[in-house]
Amino acid sequence: MRDEELELADRLVRIFENVLFTEEKSIQKGYFSDLSIAEMHTLDAIGPYEARTMTETASSLGITTGTLTVSIDRLVKKGYVVRNRDEKDRRIVRISLTREGKLASRMHGKYHKVLARHILEPYTKEEQALLMSMVEELDKYLESQASRYNGSESVRKTAKEVAAKTRRRENDDG
Amino acid sequence: MTMDDNGDPRERNFSAEDVMKKKDQIFEDILKLLVAELNVSPTDITADLTIRDDLDFDSLQLYEFVIDLEEAYDIRLPDDLLDNVRTIADVVDLVYDLSIDPKD
Repeated sequence: MRDEELELADRLVRIFENVLFTEEKSIQKGYFSDLSIAEMHTLDAIGPYEARTMTETASSLGITTGTLTVSIDRLVKKGYVVRNRDEKDRRIVRISLTREGKLASRMHGKYHKVLARHILEPYTKEEQALLMSMVEELDKYLESQASRYNGSESVRKTAKEVAAKTRRRENDDG
Repeated sequence: MTMDDNGDPRERNFSAEDVMKKKDQIFEDILKLLVAELNVSPTDITADLTIRDDLDFDSLQLYEFVIDLEEAYDIRLPDDLLDNVRTIADVVDLVYDLSIDPKD
């Protein structure tokens, strides 16, 4: 049992690293090598259809509008995103993808889809359904673990602090 | 409105001839896009050609074609709809269905 736990732990970390690594490579070696992964995900968050506001886009990426502004400036300069004022309310600025932006986002989406297709391919319909439900459980569990850290600064002392305090007490005692 | 329609409520207002005409128009548009995109002669392209095997599309050209269609017809062609498309005739049918259906 113990070995299985270790193996799963190793594999989870490796899966994470390799998905990220191949994703990065697929962008670097593709038609849109002037984009970083983060920029590609920003394009995905804007989406190919309706123009979106900065606030909407920032919240779906889980970043501040300040951070998004910097990244949008760069994407506008590279020709992937355009800013337009809302026709009705001139105070609102909306962002949308250019043709190049749409192409980049769709090509990148294809990478994820093909990867998933190749993972599912060797299995029967029933096995695929089982795999999907297990992956869903895994995802939910990790999501719940991640959400424990939402918005809370670490309140626990670091090991060093604990050790220093213990040492001080020992010195006081001695 | 007559009651002898063939069941599909979206086609109620169109006669079979109208549908044919509209689909012919879509086919012509697709032909123009393909000729521009792939550098082929329009006479080489027939409705039964398959997108993936008969046409020399790489994935970038395929998405350029898809985005052109989306913009020309003001429709959405997400990947899961495209998965079911095999031939040019399938593209024509899909574009037709989406363009007579109000968006959203």
